[in-house]
Amino acid sequence: MGDLPNLWELILAFARLGLISFGGTNVAEMERSLVLEHGWIDARTLANGFALGQLMPGPNMLAVTHYGYAAAGLAGALAATLGFYGPTALLSAVAALVWQRHSAHPWVAAFRNALLPFGGGVILAGALVLARTSVTSWPAAVLAVLAFGLLWQTRVNSAVVVLGAAAVGALLGL
Amino acid sequence: MTRAHATTPEDDPPALSPTPLALARMFVGVALAGIGGGLPAHTRRALTTRGWMTDEAFAETFTLAQLTPGPNAVNLAAMVGARLSGRLGAVASTVGVLTPGLVAMLAVSAVTLGLPGGLPPALQSALHGAACAALAVLLTAALPVVRVGWGVRGGPLLTVLTFLALGVGRLDLLPVFLVLVGAGLLLHRPRGAA
Repeated sequence: MGDLPNLWELILAFARLGLISFGGTNVAEMERSLVLEHGWIDARTLANGFALGQLMPGPNMLAVTHYGYAAAGLAGALAATLGFYGPTALLSAVAALVWQRHSAHPWVAAFRNALLPFGGGVILAGALVLARTSVTSWPAAVLAVLAFGLLWQTRVNSAVVVLGAAAVGALLGL
Repeated sequence: MTRAHATTPEDDPPALSPTPLALARMFVGVALAGIGGGLPAHTRRALTTRGWMTDEAFAETFTLAQLTPGPNAVNLAAMVGARLSGRLGAVASTVGVLTPGLVAMLAVSAVTLGLPGGLPPALQSALHGAACAALAVLLTAALPVVRVGWGVRGGPLLTVLTFLALGVGRLDLLPVFLVLVGAGLLLHRPRGAA
């Protein structure tokens, strides 16, 4: 996968990705940065890592650990994780304390209303990017639709659905 | 550590304040319970059953965690930790919520990425199937977010423009953010306020 990136470069790239993720994930920008711009991982690794992240305990964007590992081994995995979660966690902790004082300010409400539709667009763009890599055949499309229906209509745990889809994928030889 | 007067939803969290270590332990449990998502729900339950936070304080913290950039569940942990136990609490909570998944992901990455000649076909097929379902998970998480954004003034237009610019046009995020969030700010600017 090209030259090994240096760790500082990785930390900075993932810190940037963390800070510009709104509504939890920003898969579209991850692909643009990690795959298209830097070439640290390929589109297949992006989709695999995202799927693995759904099976891990805790926040499902642990995919970043996988991407860091793919780019630069164990040190890369730790650098990516630290870079992605560190600055945003720090910012959040500070924001929590500041918010308690300024939540009534009218510009805070305006910013909130401006940010919400943007967050919706970001997350939909991420879905499109993942769909381009994952939904490559009719069986894959049917599987995705079935999984969506199951998740939307029932209270079944999403890890169970992802594992079930993995079994179906192995059986069909997707 | 005495029992909090949990019935009064004051500005401040209940008097019962946990130690950073107790917070770390709680968030490890939250992470393990949250395989497959739903971390905020597990966080809420863990906090309220311990009497560490009222529902009102949790709702406010949760909303704020959604507005700050970055992964929500981790932001939420950092904020809860900061409110309940200061700087050390924020660090302990963040490390706690990340540790189980980090260890598991490192192990899985070492195995799947370390194989010479790439993944065996059956495993790649399985991951492809899992990726289809992961896409569905992302969509189910996306729809409530989209619905909320759709409801504000100018929301549908800004949501669609953001989607087209980032998903179809593959434009750089920061200029798109500046233009579209700027437009949103203009639409929602406080009237008559400084």
